[in-house]
Amino acid sequence: MTPTSPRSTDKRTSGNPAKQAEINLTVKQQREQKRQEKLAEYQRQLARRRRGKVVGWTLGVVGVAAIVAAIIASFVFAPPPPASYTAGGEGIEIEGVETFTNETNHVEGTVDYEQTPPAGGPHNAVWLNCGIYTEPQPDEHAVHSLEHGAVWVTYDADALSDDELNALKRKLPSSYVILSPYEGLDTPIALSAWNAQLKVDSADDERIEQFFEEYWRNQNAPEPNAACTGALDGPGKVS
Amino acid sequence: MLIAVAVAALAFAVGRFSTFGSSGPLAPANDSAEAGFARDMQVHHAQAVEMAMELYRKTEDEDLRALSYDIATGQSAQRGEMFDWLVQWGLPQAGGPPMAWMSGTGDGHGHGGAASDEPMTDAEMREAMGMASDEELARLRAAEGLDADCLFTELMIRHHEGAIPMVDAVLELGSEPRVLAVAESMKVAQTAEIDAMKAVQARLGCTG
Repeated sequence: MTPTSPRSTDKRTSGNPAKQAEINLTVKQQREQKRQEKLAEYQRQLARRRRGKVVGWTLGVVGVAAIVAAIIASFVFAPPPPASYTAGGEGIEIEGVETFTNETNHVEGTVDYEQTPPAGGPHNAVWLNCGIYTEPQPDEHAVHSLEHGAVWVTYDADALSDDELNALKRKLPSSYVILSPYEGLDTPIALSAWNAQLKVDSADDERIEQFFEEYWRNQNAPEPNAACTGALDGPGKVS
Repeated sequence: MLIAVAVAALAFAVGRFSTFGSSGPLAPANDSAEAGFARDMQVHHAQAVEMAMELYRKTEDEDLRALSYDIATGQSAQRGEMFDWLVQWGLPQAGGPPMAWMSGTGDGHGHGGAASDEPMTDAEMREAMGMASDEELARLRAAEGLDADCLFTELMIRHHEGAIPMVDAVLELGSEPRVLAVAESMKVAQTAEIDAMKAVQARLGCTG
């Protein structure tokens, strides 16, 4: 034990220097020291509360910002709604498709159609059997097939090479399609469904597949479950 | 109070995030077995209707007339239902390569459209499904009397037998209850029709 100061009036001594220093103080000094300690303690608490407020506000603002960001993200990043293939709906938007409001009716004789090739309108009571044809087909029978949900793919025989024609054939589904040359076409290839038509320049155009997805046997056709067989084979039917 | 609003707002965002990637509670997807079955089986049924109607108009055999009427009307009705499944599921009638959806089955042999990069030709597809070729259909249209009756039963038996792997595939791969029920009933009915047609062949003395 270290010896204590000669001024000390306490009987206690301490090996701990801090404690010993405390023992050495007078009462007034002790009170002063305690007051200082309380003040220091209060200031520590004050600082702590201040820090707490800053932290609290920071957390609050960050939290609100995060929640707002989450809400915004839940709209911005929402996947596009699935395409809806309803009658008159926009399942997929295809650039260049024209739509019409032809009415349906059974008639005799020839019809002067609004579109070339026709995409709907009055037609013969006997439909044209779906398939691949090497000769032009009568409009009034083919339009009836459109009514049954078929897609009529017409091409300018002078504008398409054999390779291109084969490329076009490979894109066609095995049923509910008529492929035939068409005279007086203002485009190399025209695809027609009931009240919808797309003209393209090349068999490689990816809109051909899109047209089939949207319009083949679609719900705009007046009778999409009627047959495309069992009626009239047109001239030049190869398949 | 503010905490409650914050929790509600966060729950709202989380709820929206949880719907990403689902297009509806139970609708089969565009590349599902159910969608593939609905599309391919409509094509298959359409040819059965075509052949049955061809025979209905010219056969003199009353059993076959009744059977062809039944096939034509029954399978037309089933086509209508399958058409509507795709409508209700919000899917296009047009789909990917025929039978591509079947490649997940356990029976091992890849169907052409799925196993190779080349899309199946029409002829390959028809053969895989037991369908009649153009040449066979032309022969059926040209045939009369007993020849037509016998050719019809031969083609239709093969046609029905070709449907069974498709039915089995959707039963294995699909889960939509109505689809499975209809597929099962198709299998039962077509198996019975195969037996009936074999009996007709025996009765008429068809050869080959």
